Amino acid sequence: MATSRERGALTHPDVHKLSDVNRDILKILSRPGKGWWMLFGLAAAGVGLFLVSWGNQIVNGIGESGLNSPVGWGVYITTFVFWVGIAHSGTLISAILFLFRAPWRQSVYRAAEAMTVFAVMTAGLFPLIHVGRVWHAYWLFPYPNSRFLWPNFRSPLIWDVFAVTTYFTVSAVFFYLGTVPDVAAARDQATGLRKKLYQVISLGWQGTDRQWHHFGKAYIFLAALATPLVLSVHSVVSWDFAMSIVPGWHATIFAPYFVAGAIFSGVAMVITLAVPIRKVWGLEAYLTTKHFDALAKLCLLTSLIVLYAYLSEFFMAWYSGEEIERTAFWNRLFGDYWWATWTMLTCNGLVPVMLWFKRVRHSIPALFVISFFINIGMWFERYVIVVTSLHHEYEPFAWGIYRPSLTEMGIMVGSFAWFGFWFLLFTRLLPPVAIAELKEVLPPPLRKQSKEAH
Amino acid sequence: MAHIHLPGEIPVRYLDRSKGASTVAGTLVVVGLVAFVVRLGQDAQSAWISYVTNWLFFTGIAMGGVLLSVATWITKAKWNWSLRRVSQSFVAFLPVAFVLLLPMLGLREGYFPWIEEMAHDPILQRKAAYLNVPFLITRNVVAMALLTGLALYFVYLALRPDMGYAKGAEGEDEVRAGWREKLSQNWMGQDAEEANSYKRMTTMAPAFVIFYAVGMSIFVYDWAMSLEPHWFSTMFGPWFFMGAFWGGIASTALWSLYLRTKDRVFHHEIGLQQRHDLGKLAFAFTVFWTYLFFSQYIVIWYGKLPWEQAWIIRRSAEPWGGFSALVVSLCFVVPFAGLIGRKAKLKPALLATFTSVILTGLWLERYALVAPSLHHEGDPIFTIWQPLIGCLFLGLYILAVRWFLSTFPAIQLWQPKPDPESTEAERA
Repeated sequence: MATSRERGALTHPDVHKLSDVNRDILKILSRPGKGWWMLFGLAAAGVGLFLVSWGNQIVNGIGESGLNSPVGWGVYITTFVFWVGIAHSGTLISAILFLFRAPWRQSVYRAAEAMTVFAVMTAGLFPLIHVGRVWHAYWLFPYPNSRFLWPNFRSPLIWDVFAVTTYFTVSAVFFYLGTVPDVAAARDQATGLRKKLYQVISLGWQGTDRQWHHFGKAYIFLAALATPLVLSVHSVVSWDFAMSIVPGWHATIFAPYFVAGAIFSGVAMVITLAVPIRKVWGLEAYLTTKHFDALAKLCLLTSLIVLYAYLSEFFMAWYSGEEIERTAFWNRLFGDYWWATWTMLTCNGLVPVMLWFKRVRHSIPALFVISFFINIGMWFERYVIVVTSLHHEYEPFAWGIYRPSLTEMGIMVGSFAWFGFWFLLFTRLLPPVAIAELKEVLPPPLRKQSKEAH
Repeated sequence: MAHIHLPGEIPVRYLDRSKGASTVAGTLVVVGLVAFVVRLGQDAQSAWISYVTNWLFFTGIAMGGVLLSVATWITKAKWNWSLRRVSQSFVAFLPVAFVLLLPMLGLREGYFPWIEEMAHDPILQRKAAYLNVPFLITRNVVAMALLTGLALYFVYLALRPDMGYAKGAEGEDEVRAGWREKLSQNWMGQDAEEANSYKRMTTMAPAFVIFYAVGMSIFVYDWAMSLEPHWFSTMFGPWFFMGAFWGGIASTALWSLYLRTKDRVFHHEIGLQQRHDLGKLAFAFTVFWTYLFFSQYIVIWYGKLPWEQAWIIRRSAEPWGGFSALVVSLCFVVPFAGLIGRKAKLKPALLATFTSVILTGLWLERYALVAPSLHHEGDPIFTIWQPLIGCLFLGLYILAVRWFLSTFPAIQLWQPKPDPESTEAERA
């Protein structure tokens, strides 16, 4: 995209020629190393664990999970919200940062978009798992049927079905559109079956002026369409909670608070994924410390927004003067699940404080570790919201403790493997760094420069 | 999207001092002051409601304008290079706003219902650690002092390197030279000054953003939310301070369009790019304001809790329903439909119209946050006194901003150097 040519665009001092880009990025597709196969084996095993756990629940019933009255939502909903959240940064980076003309996005956005698509695919499994009788899952969709039964359109859970499927559709299209020129580049080098596949995917891309023109128009149009979706999806997810009057859920700030948290965790996940990609395939020249610096700053900003939301929730619970509100938040901090709350506060509020320091932002290992903390913290944030609010609702006789079962933990851990499985396949099939956009920010191959390069 | 063109040398230009404009603004101040005093005699509570809502509005847009220059500084934005000074100029109103805050701190039972209700309401008694007069005064003074101080320091740093360029430039008179002398004490040389300012501004900018969020939340909790002491909403702070940011953007647009009519240089440098981007931001925040408004509304509507609903019902039922609908149409319907296209963002007349609509909508919104909570049945909901007392604030705001833009170069002359670590793409 021409936008990357703005002043101050990050260039890549160690990339000398345009042809280097094709070579460096496309080699990822052709040579799976030992590391890749090991990771892939691990992911496949995890998917096995996932299937076994889910199979156990399908055969023996939802009783295999730890869900029971009063905590009817547990690890499944926590993990669902976690993955929907992860899905946010992809579109943020590719659409919103595109509209804001932030040129540093070009190196990371392809991986982030892929992450979005796979994260929604992972998240989408959890409502199916959670409903228990998965063969009835199609009841969630409004379709004309013989008994004139419709889902309850007033339920935020149904809004969620629409929000998430819309988001999935738009981000998948957006992701696909961006890959077309790059797949064409891969097509020109591939042979055999791969070439056939790329020919289909690249839609006959020739890189003519006319095609680029249409491509640019479609891209900006989809970016504008996807931008409100980033806000809407997680807002609707937050309303699954906020619409009810469960203390700890019913807060007006929930929508923007969830969106900020989603971007926070999503950007952390981009860092978590980008570090090994950079290392394994030697992409240091493309994913420079400047890119990580920018990602870290985004993490810091969203961490502050999330912290504002935490503090205003605690303050407002106290300020309300309502017994129920105050007890709910006291219980969060010092009740049965105090460890989850303090994990959340430490990982999301305290650990990111380190990102204020440039030295930390420029240290890839440090960022990698911090991004793990953020991922853990954001999972616990949802766990805190879901479980602590339900286990301590209005009537004391109905209070209870929830303990996740092995089946639930198996499915939760397995979901990471499922996500990793798709992501690893993606790195083998599609160029994980946007070739065409990278070339936009490299100096054009003028005679003078090519002389210098030699 | 266009490449952002920065001229190699930016000419020094001041906004002309204009007797006419000063007279108009001065008249506004006098009219507002007289109106306030007269209204104070008639109906003290109503007078104070007008005073406080206007304070919230004008302090908000002034803070929001500074926030725009701070936020674009943090993100290393270049498109607004010719508008930086315009949004910085709002800082001149902040010391005035600080003084205007002081009489508000004398308000007691006549404005804050919780002072009397505290005695016999057990729920309110639990809030006594926050809702008490000494703490109210302390936190407002501290928040305002901190925000004003940080804003002034940021703008001071932004102005300082310009003084090197302004020296001996065309249009410098005694007053301007006097301020230049004051601002360029301990001058370290042009390059050192620029490097120093750049470093310090970049370091302190996030602090302003953090205090902005906290401080503005404190203001709106105290001057609007606490008027219905049983009501609370975690969204209230963000809704208010993002609205203020939006107001800062809209008024930056209006002032820059005004500058364009005054001088050929302004006319040329506040170009298509700047108008298009301002228009896009104003449009985006239209949607964002509505998003925040709706997210708060739907949670309360769906939850149907009596103490939460009361606030919404008071504003949606008669006699306030029509007024609230007007606020929503001025803040959402009209600017959304108007600014969605490209033409409205580029045409100065259209951009000015729609940003004025936005500012009017926000001004009415501030009133709708406060007035219905204190409304007595049978009283008119909106009287001519509201705009009349608003004249006091409008006049002072115009005087302050005009003073700033006519005393200091109205386009920032130094621009941050491109990051040495990232070389430019199109050098070749």
